[in-house]
Amino acid sequence: MPKIQFYRNKCIGCNICYETLPHRWRLSRVDGKSTLVGGVDKKGIYSAQLFPDELDANEFIAQACPVKIIKIVV
Amino acid sequence: MNIAHSRPKILAPVGSFESLAAAIQAGADAVYFGVEQLNMRSKASDPLTQEDIPEIANRCREACLSAYLTLNSTVYDHDKRLYRDIITTAKTNGINAIIASDMAVIAECRRQGMTVHLSTQSNVTNLDAVKFFAAFADLIVLSRELTLTQIAEIVRGISEADVRGPGGQQVVVEVFAHGALCMAVSGMCYLSLHSNNSSANRGACIQNCRHRFKVHDEDNGQELVIDNEYIMSAKDLCTIDIMDQLVATGIGVLKIEGRGRSADYVYSTVQCYREAVAAVGEGTYTPDKIAAWKEKLSSVYNRGFWEGYYLGRKFGEWAEVGGSKSTRKKTYVAKGIRYYPNIKVAEFRLESGSLKVGDDILLIGPLTGVVYHKVEELRVDNMPADRVEKGKAFAMPFKKRIRPSDKLYKLTTTEYAQDPVLPQ
Repeated sequence: MPKIQFYRNKCIGCNICYETLPHRWRLSRVDGKSTLVGGVDKKGIYSAQLFPDELDANEFIAQACPVKIIKIVV
Repeated sequence: MNIAHSRPKILAPVGSFESLAAAIQAGADAVYFGVEQLNMRSKASDPLTQEDIPEIANRCREACLSAYLTLNSTVYDHDKRLYRDIITTAKTNGINAIIASDMAVIAECRRQGMTVHLSTQSNVTNLDAVKFFAAFADLIVLSRELTLTQIAEIVRGISEADVRGPGGQQVVVEVFAHGALCMAVSGMCYLSLHSNNSSANRGACIQNCRHRFKVHDEDNGQELVIDNEYIMSAKDLCTIDIMDQLVATGIGVLKIEGRGRSADYVYSTVQCYREAVAAVGEGTYTPDKIAAWKEKLSSVYNRGFWEGYYLGRKFGEWAEVGGSKSTRKKTYVAKGIRYYPNIKVAEFRLESGSLKVGDDILLIGPLTGVVYHKVEELRVDNMPADRVEKGKAFAMPFKKRIRPSDKLYKLTTTEYAQDPVLPQ
């Protein structure tokens, strides 16, 4: 199962991930950064398993992220 | 900072503790910096954070400098808690003002009783706009696209109409004196957002305007020949040779752009502009001095210079290179180990390249700031040496204290150098 990794500290809260896939991404109203729904935090890097039907959308998000902090590990 | 003072104040960019130390050392009157993602340099590799605010405020207070915090990006609803917290932290720690452009941030500053400086992102270009924003801001950074005549008229208008800010003092006008210019109206460019979903207005400009471009005719496949391929990359603003005219407009603050640039840039620009403003005041502003300042400014990061839009030109002047045209470049070679104050000797470890007697070097550190030096003597294993190789610890006489957090760079001339001078 593909995995997604999110280096959250560098997020600038641009909104593109939440806009694209709101069930997987949220925008925190605490610090204005994105939150990976279901993500497990390990030293600021959030990881989650991806379902096959959300792979394409997350690949688009990873490519569109202005600070390139989202990685898909297939 | 008494902003009603007649001599324009020098406002320095701070993107790191190294730049802060350099700004203090070079004699800036005030500094501006951004934290987290709500400023125009949010994409910085090692951005300052809210936790850094107390130390920045303390260091500025100790050095009798004012400190302003930029919170001038586009903000969304999900940013509300963050900008509110940043303003609270700034207020608690005695930061002198918030540089803002969005009404939500301005309103929050007012709610918390925080002084506002209106950012150039609000693009104020006329007296009526100044009067409007005077209800919220004590200082207004004018649009960078105005001419000197227009700036002088706005300043005169403020004085004649006695336009006062919320603090009760007459509104102070700030303009940009030096640094990068945008090809589009300051910061309002969408090029980076369109090409890479990386919004300049969220501080994440990827600077595609700095690239080379070809004009391609889709109908016949021909490419148009353009003299300069960098057709969208504006040269850097430099006002050192029109400083008398700029001071005569009556502006209160001169801002140096460059929070993304290194500490040696901050040091040299602040020093040159401080001296130039003083020379104008003393009546000693001469062509010889201007030439020397310009040479020093050319030795740090720049894309070539022009006077921006201040002299009323219709089109921008375009850079001929993608990166810097500086006459000197710095290469990292060593890190600090310790300092022996009694004998004024500094010890370093060479981590890259080599170093020899006669080399020009530059030391940069978060507490040390910027120190230029020439290697006159080297000692390795307590023996005199002409040269040091990678991996070796070495010592040399050094006029200032060094620290383990300091980085040592070797300075070499670039292809753009003619007869460079070592900054003092």
